[in-house]
Amino acid sequence: MIPIELYVGLAVIIFTIGLYGFMTQRSGIRMLMSVELMLNSANLNLVAFSSYNADLTGQVFALYSIALAACEAAIGFAILMTIFRMRDTINLDSFNILRW
Amino acid sequence: MAIGDLAFLIPLLPALAFVLTFFLGKKLPNGGAIIPIAAIATSFVISLLITLNLLQNPGEVITQSYSWFAMFNLGILVDPLAAVMLTMVTFVSLLIHIYSVGYMSHDRSQSRYFAETALFTASMLSLILSDNILQLFISWELVGVCSYLLIGFWYQKPAAATAAKKAFLTTRIGDVMFLAGIVILFSDLFKIFNGTIPDGVFIMRFDEIFAHIPELAAMNANILGMEVSHITIITLLFFGGAVGKSGQFPLHVWLPDAMEGPTTVSALIHAATMVTAGVYLVARTFPMFIAAPDTLLVVAYLGAFTAIFAATMGIVMNDLKRVLAYSTISQLGYMMLGLGIGAAIGAEAVGMSIFHLINHAFFKALLFLCAGSVIHAVGTHDMRQLGGVAKVMPITAATMIIAALSLAGFGIPGTIFGTSGFFSKDAIIEGAYLFGESSGMWIPYVLSIVAALLTSIYIFRLIFMTFFGKPRTDYGGHESHASMTIPLSILALLALFFGGLTSRRFNDFVSETFGNNFVNMNIPELAEMGGYHLAAHVGHEPVLILWMPLIVAVAGLLIAYLIYGLKVVNMDNLVSRNNPVYKLLYNRYYQNAIFTDFISVKIIYEGFAFAVRSIDRGFDWVVNWISDVTIETGDSLRQFQTGVIQTYATAVVAGVGLLIVLIKVIMEVI
Repeated sequence: MIPIELYVGLAVIIFTIGLYGFMTQRSGIRMLMSVELMLNSANLNLVAFSSYNADLTGQVFALYSIALAACEAAIGFAILMTIFRMRDTINLDSFNILRW
Repeated sequence: MAIGDLAFLIPLLPALAFVLTFFLGKKLPNGGAIIPIAAIATSFVISLLITLNLLQNPGEVITQSYSWFAMFNLGILVDPLAAVMLTMVTFVSLLIHIYSVGYMSHDRSQSRYFAETALFTASMLSLILSDNILQLFISWELVGVCSYLLIGFWYQKPAAATAAKKAFLTTRIGDVMFLAGIVILFSDLFKIFNGTIPDGVFIMRFDEIFAHIPELAAMNANILGMEVSHITIITLLFFGGAVGKSGQFPLHVWLPDAMEGPTTVSALIHAATMVTAGVYLVARTFPMFIAAPDTLLVVAYLGAFTAIFAATMGIVMNDLKRVLAYSTISQLGYMMLGLGIGAAIGAEAVGMSIFHLINHAFFKALLFLCAGSVIHAVGTHDMRQLGGVAKVMPITAATMIIAALSLAGFGIPGTIFGTSGFFSKDAIIEGAYLFGESSGMWIPYVLSIVAALLTSIYIFRLIFMTFFGKPRTDYGGHESHASMTIPLSILALLALFFGGLTSRRFNDFVSETFGNNFVNMNIPELAEMGGYHLAAHVGHEPVLILWMPLIVAVAGLLIAYLIYGLKVVNMDNLVSRNNPVYKLLYNRYYQNAIFTDFISVKIIYEGFAFAVRSIDRGFDWVVNWISDVTIETGDSLRQFQTGVIQTYATAVVAGVGLLIVLIKVIMEVI
């Protein structure tokens, strides 16, 4: 059996990659992809601990999370499409009107 | 039922008349003048009956006291002093009201006039009747309010509004001192009772106050390194109130300006209801004054100084009413001097002073009403435009000359022939002589005799300039209506004969004030406490001293006749802007410049304005500073809101990282 530390380690690596991508990328689509990475690292954790504890609750929760991620992606892409139609770009640096 | 039981009606009827006239006056003819006239006439009858009753049974004073709250009471006290004052005030006020019917007939606000004069009279009567110092103070303030209302009766005239304000504020200075005196007196009495006052003992009542004079005298305060008895402080503060109300130097400035009201109001203020309140206060609390070291000397000196100070200004005034105003101040100075020489002659001083007060009320009311009659008929009160009025208005002229003779003090010493003013003023001047003899202080006597000469000069100057000679301008005039000339004639008779008929009797009667069933004071004993040496009885002066007042009065008449009647000296040379003495007098010693322009405007108004402005600017600065700091802080803080999502994400990560470090540290410490 693969020890739990490896799962957690993998999850940390994926989360960090996702976070790094979210903080550095300017393209809206890449940022959404990074968010998906972070969500999935959390799912990985949930499933790993569920299996480790022999408790199905974690896996059920992971299914919810995947469904939520799908919704989030659908809405996110829809917004990005609208933005693209308006401005011909999805570089989010140029959408900083919600500031001082 | 004894007449004394009705005493409470004396102030109540005019007060009721005030309410009725105020609300119903407009619907009645003559502004409802009949209501106050009837009320005051009734009060006069009651007062007169009480006085006559007291004359027959001296010592049977009327006292009624009702508990008000705690150790305070409301009550009335009619002793000889109050009785004669009541009779005089109601009588003079009655005549003035009757006269006003004619005088105010052309005024649109007649009912307001009669309502206010009724209230004025009511307040003064309640002041006189008070049996405790607190009630007296309340009435005292009411008198002040009424004087304000009446001086500013023609409030649409800016001069009248200013004069009313000036009168109110100036007397207020005195009132504050009076109130301070009452507060000190109350706290001292409270201490004497050790804070436990038995039921039925009203500590502000005069008998209670007088009974504790020795204890008050024993209390000492240390002021500027001097040991001062409490009773000296209290009496000086009371006298400060009297100075304000009775127009003594230096708070006399309001009185000449009070001329802005109707002339009848001036007569009321000068003769009956207002300025006599100060003299009455000192007379009423005389046992305290005589037990207080040095206070009576202050009273005597200030009175004598005021007498001569005002008389010098009366000589150069050209306004008919202004001359009379300064004459009032001068005569009030005599009354204060009369009280002050109680230091030499004891309780008799009260009799003398009040006697002069009553006589003064008669001839000064007469002078004012005559002046009012002239002004009413001729339409000007500048004496330079008058002259020869006697031909058009014989009754007014005759009564005014009688009043002038009375004011100047014509009479033959040692007999009963003489005008009223002669008997009272002569007595005060002789008292001042006795005062000089017993204490070695001759200044009050010298001042009073010189003031008598000046009095005679200024009043006959007024007579000659107004009534004799040729008219200086074209004026139409006619003798006044009977409702005006009849009060004049009655007052003229009193100004002529009242003094001669009552002189000795009156003094004895009023001097009895402090020995009866209500208060029984041993005045010589109190005088010893105050350190005064009472002299022997009045009437043993050298012949020259007895004749001196008459001599100076005649001399004044002659001087005025030579200058203004025969014109042996051309006054135009003297009366010029180049003559420094004339300039000083005409500008009234620059008191207006000093008091109004300098003290009130420069120091009080502008100083106050500056202080308030500084405070305002201070607050402004603090408020502005707070808002500036807030705005600047917000300005710099909002730079964090970049609108870029990555910045926020970075901040979240940094925050979480910081939190983890913090928790780690905390866990380590715990």
